Amino acid sequence: MKKILLLIAIAISLSSCAIVKEYEMVNINDPDMALSLRKIDRFEANFQAYREAASGANGGKTGGGCGCN
Amino acid sequence: MKKSGIVVLLLISTLGFAQNKSVDSTKVYKKRVLESSEIDFITSYYLQDGRNAAVSGGIGTEELSDFTSNLVVSVPLNDDDILTVDAGISAYSSASSSNINPFDGDNADPFLASSGASSSDVWYNFTGSYNHSSDNRNNIWDARLSVSIEFDYTSFGFGGGYTKLFNEKNTEASVHANVFLDSWSPRYPVELSSASRSFSIDDYTITGNSDYNPTFQPFSNKSRNSYSLGFGLSQVLSKNLQTLFALDLVFQQGLLSTPYQRIYFSDIEDSFIEDFQLADAIELLPDTRLKVALGNRMSYYINEYIVLRSFYRYYFDDWGIISHTASLEIPVKFADKFTLYPSYRYYSQTAADYFAPYEKHVSTERFYTSDYDLSGFYANQYGFGITYTDIFTNSHIWIFGLKSIDLKLNYYERDTGFNALFIVGGFKFVLDDRKKSIPKLLNKIGF
Repeated sequence: MKKILLLIAIAISLSSCAIVKEYEMVNINDPDMALSLRKIDRFEANFQAYREAASGANGGKTGGGCGCN
Repeated sequence: MKKSGIVVLLLISTLGFAQNKSVDSTKVYKKRVLESSEIDFITSYYLQDGRNAAVSGGIGTEELSDFTSNLVVSVPLNDDDILTVDAGISAYSSASSSNINPFDGDNADPFLASSGASSSDVWYNFTGSYNHSSDNRNNIWDARLSVSIEFDYTSFGFGGGYTKLFNEKNTEASVHANVFLDSWSPRYPVELSSASRSFSIDDYTITGNSDYNPTFQPFSNKSRNSYSLGFGLSQVLSKNLQTLFALDLVFQQGLLSTPYQRIYFSDIEDSFIEDFQLADAIELLPDTRLKVALGNRMSYYINEYIVLRSFYRYYFDDWGIISHTASLEIPVKFADKFTLYPSYRYYSQTAADYFAPYEKHVSTERFYTSDYDLSGFYANQYGFGITYTDIFTNSHIWIFGLKSIDLKLNYYERDTGFNALFIVGGFKFVLDDRKKSIPKLLNKIGF
């Protein structure tokens, strides 16, 4: 529970960072900077969700399908 | 053939119509959410092996190969709306599933594949999603529907989400919810299933305990429902650094056991046909499960050549599993159009409360599984990818310009001996604005 509260506190504190203007976001908008899985990684995420107990919080599948083979 | 041609032309016409209509209706300039229709073709080949098959109670071959292809078509319906259709097909061949019925005439052995009907299958998936952005692009709504089918399992899903951008698009908060309504057509180990027409235990000589008398009760509840709720908060920290925190909650209910996974109890004498041990029972797990995952992503732009992408996840569930995942990917750009993607991923999990290896469960336990996906283990994954990107889409296939080609190779190994190799290839095409005049095209080919 402490870990969850710590993460929430960090997340809230981030909103107080200095604003980066849209015209300054050239680097942030680089496709490799995306905070999500790339399309090419979708099978990898599916495989991991099937073969490992943990899933989610990763943009991948969090339910549906048996993944039992 | 002519009919197929007409269907293809109608589809292409729809793409072109979506493009043209929005150009005419733009009264106030706003950047389109998606400039042109995009088509992604992604294909993968997956190979795994190990010696702890759940089908044969924690021992036996886990050899499996799978070939999957997906086609993803994204169409901008106007400046604000995108419709995406994702269709996939996956064909697998599995040695462990083949041992649902290991008695195919050759010597039955958990470390050998058999040739029964369950040795291979095809999985089909279809997902449609709709995405709408507000005029100022600070509010995004999405909804999706999905269906997937395989020989013993059907899944129907739906969901939606909302994303809000603020702080001049420096902060993004999102919430999404999904429901999956799944159902089993259970297949049981052949020695337990009286429904099998191809197998009669009386045709075989039982060795070891010849008085084989398992207690077996087919599952009455064949549904499995999953409800997920996810929250995301991303923040631009500087011109070169941004981060995302995500929280996913998943509640599952119904048949969470896999009906054809055998259990061998240590307090019941073993029975064999040939070299294959007959099941004492099948896996039995609770009918509810609550999963909680907390994740963080960071992306740091070092310079025009190198980016760092990290991911960490802490996971726990009410089956007693605690897991840590950490990964690092370092995209390296070179020669204008190429990017390399070396990556490393570490994963660890503790065992579920209900897991025990081969012959370690006792028959008085309430729940039991010998599925090593629920065991305690750690795993390393090494990846390497390369991407070719041509933002000007100079190469064409018909009216589609090739935007990028991806190739990625991953090797995964657990400390239990399980290992997997997967290769993924992807091609992204965009509908070329200069060549999208459908009437011209139809004239050209004689329609």
